[in-house]
Amino acid sequence: MGQVLANGLIAGSAYALVALGFAVIYGTTRFFHVAHGAIYTAGAYITYALAVLCRIPLGVAIPAAVILSCVLGLLTETVIYRPLRRKYAAALVLLIASLGLYVVLQNAISLVFGDDIKSIRSASVQEGFNVLGARITLVQLVTLGVAAALFVATGLLLGRTRLGKALRAVASDLELARVTGIDTDRSILFAFGLGSALAAVAAILVSFDVDMTPTMGMNALLMGVVATIIGGIGSIPGAAVGGLLLGVAQHLGVWKIGSQWQDTIAFAVLLAFLLVRPQGIFGRKLRKAEI
Amino acid sequence: MDYLLHVLILIAIYSILSVSLNLISGYAGLLSVAHAALFGVGAYIAALLALHFHANFLVGILCAAIGAGLISLVVAAPSLRIHDDYFVLATFAFQVIAFGVMNNWIGLTGGPMGLPGIPQPTIFGVVISSHAQFLVLAAGFAVIAALLVRRLVRSPFGRVLKAIREDEVFAQSLGKNVMLYKLQVFAIGGGLAAVAGALYAHYITFIDPSSFTVTESIFILAMVIVGGSGSIAGSVVGAVLLVSLPEALRFVGMPSSVAANVRQMLYGGLLVVFMMFRPQGILGEFAFHRK
Repeated sequence: MGQVLANGLIAGSAYALVALGFAVIYGTTRFFHVAHGAIYTAGAYITYALAVLCRIPLGVAIPAAVILSCVLGLLTETVIYRPLRRKYAAALVLLIASLGLYVVLQNAISLVFGDDIKSIRSASVQEGFNVLGARITLVQLVTLGVAAALFVATGLLLGRTRLGKALRAVASDLELARVTGIDTDRSILFAFGLGSALAAVAAILVSFDVDMTPTMGMNALLMGVVATIIGGIGSIPGAAVGGLLLGVAQHLGVWKIGSQWQDTIAFAVLLAFLLVRPQGIFGRKLRKAEI
Repeated sequence: MDYLLHVLILIAIYSILSVSLNLISGYAGLLSVAHAALFGVGAYIAALLALHFHANFLVGILCAAIGAGLISLVVAAPSLRIHDDYFVLATFAFQVIAFGVMNNWIGLTGGPMGLPGIPQPTIFGVVISSHAQFLVLAAGFAVIAALLVRRLVRSPFGRVLKAIREDEVFAQSLGKNVMLYKLQVFAIGGGLAAVAGALYAHYITFIDPSSFTVTESIFILAMVIVGGSGSIAGSVVGAVLLVSLPEALRFVGMPSSVAANVRQMLYGGLLVVFMMFRPQGILGEFAFHRK
């Protein structure tokens, strides 16, 4: 039972990080950036390419991979989303373009690296520490710590700084924000940079724990989106609570009914929330026109 | 020659899928990524009836259409509460859950091993065994499906669908029961997708969950969008283009391992390009614009 909870919290903290990156982007642009999942996969594979194929030490390879994924995120915004936004495209158009972009990026990765499982774990399997009767490895402890630190940092950045205020202004009304002199393009670009970097960090942590495949991003994205919606879209504590709740719910479900139903459980939870409480736990009640 | 017939049969089956999804997404404006799931439900119902009850082909197709039509109501249900991109997410959830059931309910569906040995169809005592015969059958069903959808969208029913697509609240204010229309359009679209599924199952004589994934759903959506949302001829053009273009890759000597990825990159790229430069598609009238 303790082990199940621990596993749930660890998986949940990775979901929460993806959800946080997704929420930063959704919170600013108000469309579903599905290609976020591909940026996540790219984060893991760039680390693999640098650390394993080019034999660059991890201390350099990981920051470099985060920066490169960040650049990839910025490119998706400037090359595809920004021109669409200039044409006043609806959120659905951006979503369809994003679906297409996801398919392109995922297949590009599987074309270059192949479909088999790749690993960046260098050391042999460690036994792990005993925490309250549950076995937790070092990587898992680091995941928990990094996730907590990034949540606090992002929360401060968005809640306490001028930049955060600008992002929230863009989210609530793009035109009005522009009229008041906010550089909206730059604010959105910043959201994409931050969101993509968070996705890459989550992907690297997860791949140290359970390796990588080209389709890992789709699953991560879906869990991130589910966590975001459970927690309340656009809310930072919501992303954290949603991720952790989802992780625990999933692992309890797996423990009771079997691991093959993991995705099905997550989506049953999502459907329940969409139908009963679409604004999530922390979200404010939306007017009909906004849903 | 058989190869050419095979491609034409696939085009006929995919035309049924794209025309029926167009009814849901292009005419009623309900963007769905669950169409492959409904396609799969039809395939499994027809296959199970043929394998376990030796049901006649036409009876199987009818049962598949009715069964999937009823299940479509479950997909449509969230649209009564949530709209646009949230609804897309709900259909995504349904797609993932449906795949989970096909993949994991081994007692019924055979799980990843699939269902082999589905008999070739017999109609009024004639066994459809050659490619040419099957092409006539599949093309016949495709023509019936296209004529049915054409008749629907040109009727007062179709005009209400377009009104819902353009402005749901306005349609409601004219006294139209928007909920009922949405449920009906999903039931009809899902039923037609199941007809395609039953044809597919009897044609390939083997089905497994990998034919009914979310990627397949995006593939069908790409046909609708590239061909043109709100145009029946467009959906057929979309099916012809997206089925035959990847086949052309074979002739330029691309190895099949690479071709699978390139095929997906092709239609993912098409989605992005069409959203950026021609969101209404080749022949379409609806561009998922802001409501």
